[in-house]
Amino acid sequence: MLERLLPMEMRRKRRLARCAAGPLHDYLATPFVDPARECREVEYIALDLETTGLDPQKDQIISFGYLLVRGVRIELGSARHRVIRQACAIPAESAVIHGITDDQAAEGHDLEEVLTELLQALTGRVLIAHHAMIELGFIGAACQRLYGGELLLPAVDTLGQARAAMLRANLPIRGGELRLAALRDRYNLPRYPAHNALSDALAAAELFAAQIEERAGKHKLPLKALLMKQ
Amino acid sequence: MEVELLEIRDFLAARPPFDVLPENLLNELVGQLAIRYLRRGSVFPPADEGPALYVVRSGAIELRNEAGDLIDKIGEGGLCPHTCIDAGEQEPKRVGHSVEDTLLYLLPCAQLERLQQRSEAFDHHFNDSIRLRLQSALRRMQEGHMGQNRLMRIELGSLINRAPIHVGPEATIRQAAQRMTEERVSSLLVMQERKLLGLITDRDLRSRVLAAGLDPSLPVTEIMTTRLHKATRNTPALEALLDMSRLGIHHLPVVDRQEVCGIITTSDLIRQESANAIYLLSDIRRAESPEELVELAQRIPELHMQLVAAGTTAHHLGEVISSVSDALSVRLLQLAEAKFGPAPVPYCWLAVGSQARREQCNMNDQDNALLLDDSYAEAAHGAYFTQLAEFVCSGLDACGLVFCPGGIMAKTPEWRQPLSVWQGHFSRWVKAPEPKAMMLFNNFIDARPLYGQTSLYDQLHHTVVKMVGENRIFLAHLTAHVLKYRPPLGFFRQFVLIHDGEHDNHLDIKKSGLIPIIDLARIHALAGSLPEVNSRDRLLAAADARIISHDAAEELCDALELISTLRARHHAELHKQGRPSDNYLDPDRLSSHERGHLKEAFKAVRLMQDALAARVGTLR
Repeated sequence: MLERLLPMEMRRKRRLARCAAGPLHDYLATPFVDPARECREVEYIALDLETTGLDPQKDQIISFGYLLVRGVRIELGSARHRVIRQACAIPAESAVIHGITDDQAAEGHDLEEVLTELLQALTGRVLIAHHAMIELGFIGAACQRLYGGELLLPAVDTLGQARAAMLRANLPIRGGELRLAALRDRYNLPRYPAHNALSDALAAAELFAAQIEERAGKHKLPLKALLMKQ
Repeated sequence: MEVELLEIRDFLAARPPFDVLPENLLNELVGQLAIRYLRRGSVFPPADEGPALYVVRSGAIELRNEAGDLIDKIGEGGLCPHTCIDAGEQEPKRVGHSVEDTLLYLLPCAQLERLQQRSEAFDHHFNDSIRLRLQSALRRMQEGHMGQNRLMRIELGSLINRAPIHVGPEATIRQAAQRMTEERVSSLLVMQERKLLGLITDRDLRSRVLAAGLDPSLPVTEIMTTRLHKATRNTPALEALLDMSRLGIHHLPVVDRQEVCGIITTSDLIRQESANAIYLLSDIRRAESPEELVELAQRIPELHMQLVAAGTTAHHLGEVISSVSDALSVRLLQLAEAKFGPAPVPYCWLAVGSQARREQCNMNDQDNALLLDDSYAEAAHGAYFTQLAEFVCSGLDACGLVFCPGGIMAKTPEWRQPLSVWQGHFSRWVKAPEPKAMMLFNNFIDARPLYGQTSLYDQLHHTVVKMVGENRIFLAHLTAHVLKYRPPLGFFRQFVLIHDGEHDNHLDIKKSGLIPIIDLARIHALAGSLPEVNSRDRLLAAADARIISHDAAEELCDALELISTLRARHHAELHKQGRPSDNYLDPDRLSSHERGHLKEAFKAVRLMQDALAARVGTLR
């Protein structure tokens, strides 16, 4: 518990020391971005996961979608979409939402292979996700299972950013207002079909760019003003 | 490829110029895009980006020139003029701003060039001159409309124009024959309630009754044909025609869900094929009364529609429709002379305006004038020409060439005058070029002698051309007058974008598209004292006379053709829906291609207007 009071960089070093060799170790070996840096000069990975449920301990990751954001410039060439091969059948109720069937999942990638790829992409970068707790929870649990180590990932939560902005402006927050689609509407962003991991990752990336342009405008804004507490 | 999952791909695939890219290049393109978000009021393009092609995904960008005038406003799906390759077209320096929160897709120039190298069709969009782009647009529009034989596309249902005439089985042969005579039909159905029992035709009456000496008081059922070949509303007309000729029959009942809805005759079908201009013109020349002409004129809208459907060029369409108006006018004049006797003094009937230019469409009102020999004396000859003009103008009106609301007609006394008075009219307009005078001048300078003594017109035209050619000040006034009408900048969402950034819900394709080109052509013809009247002829002649460049002339001709084609199609569409003709296009119903082409055409016109303004030195 006390560890939460330490700076991220120090926590990274502690976890690195406790981590066995492997992809997680490699990831943790690279220093985090300096939180004092101007946020538009940082590189980010916008990520979305589709899962069989909300509990990282019990539920499975079905697919990954992510792409690179350099400052506020989203680069589609970096886009990745990975469906994970499942050990057991996908529950019907979640298949209805993400549209991935057992057959597709059976042809998917190994979780370990995808996680290695993702950790490489995240090295020296910052995570962007909408309601990032879910992504952090599932990726953390997977690392724990596969590598026996603890993940630490600097992250910007676009949902948290929106909530904070509304609180700053003294606006009441109504139900559903913090949903990705509702927030995008406010910034005149187009409507994308929801619940595909990649298009949700892109949706979060665009929302992030819009939030930064709104909040920082022509002024400088350090990364630490955006990072979520974890 | 991950990007296939992104909706961006479908967004681009539906829009020019990306719609010409094959699947693999399209996927590649999406993989090379970057996305930027601009808050309202941000500078466009973003200062930290290198040269790139921008596509607006949501929001809007305004471009202005250095003087702050709006050049363009680009909404969803629009392309922002890129800074990569500027193929010779001198684009003014522009300053851009996002006027709404805007999401942009940007393709770096290096990647754009790679795509251009790999897709010729895509490359055309960026490298062709306005002219080549307009031409390929026209070609595509015409090919798109060129189907096979019209009869193959038309269905019987659309040819039925009256309910079937029928009698009950109790009717006698005589009663049936009387009914056919009353209704002026060549066949008659015999029906009980709604059930079709049989059919009799003129030929049955001849061969089965008269030739066989049958008693006409026998019931009609005695002679009717009961084993009938039938067709449905959806049967293609060509198939029906082939069936009928194979079976040797001339009448075909058309049945829709067990119910008879009409009868098609071979002549109905053949009329479809022959409702072309040549038949119509020769029928007009043979017509014996104004009433007969009125009936023939009802075929004009159909002729217009057929020509449009067949992919006829707008230039040719204008010529055909104008020839029909010419033929109607000439025939009415001949009928008038037959009725009122030969003219007491020589005269020349003039077609004026679009008919004179051979650019009529199917909704023009009539514009004409009467030019009389100077031996004309009001007291002695006035009554004759009043009658003649009244007869012809009313005849044209009844034929659908309605009276000109502005009174530009031979039946208006002012426009029914001897040569010297006409010379006086023109001289007055040229000396005092106030707006009304210039409007009248523009009207009457587009004239063409149709009937009578053509030399009268040659004399008038000669003096006017001389008068104008020597009077640069008048030409400058006329130029300033016509340059007031600027084509719009383009389209923004469902609106037409006008210069000051105002929006219009509708595009008046005549006022903002055709008139500026027609005016330019006229000015150039006058400047060179050229005799041509048709706008296209005028432009090409002006190029030959080195008044404008050949490229400029051809570009304007293409713009004229494109805009006229869109208008002709609009008219044909309205006719098909049974609605009255108008010139208002709804920007929302234009395809993105059509919007793009129109924008190019407008741009060509504006460039020529600017060049003319610079040359004549008029202030706008």
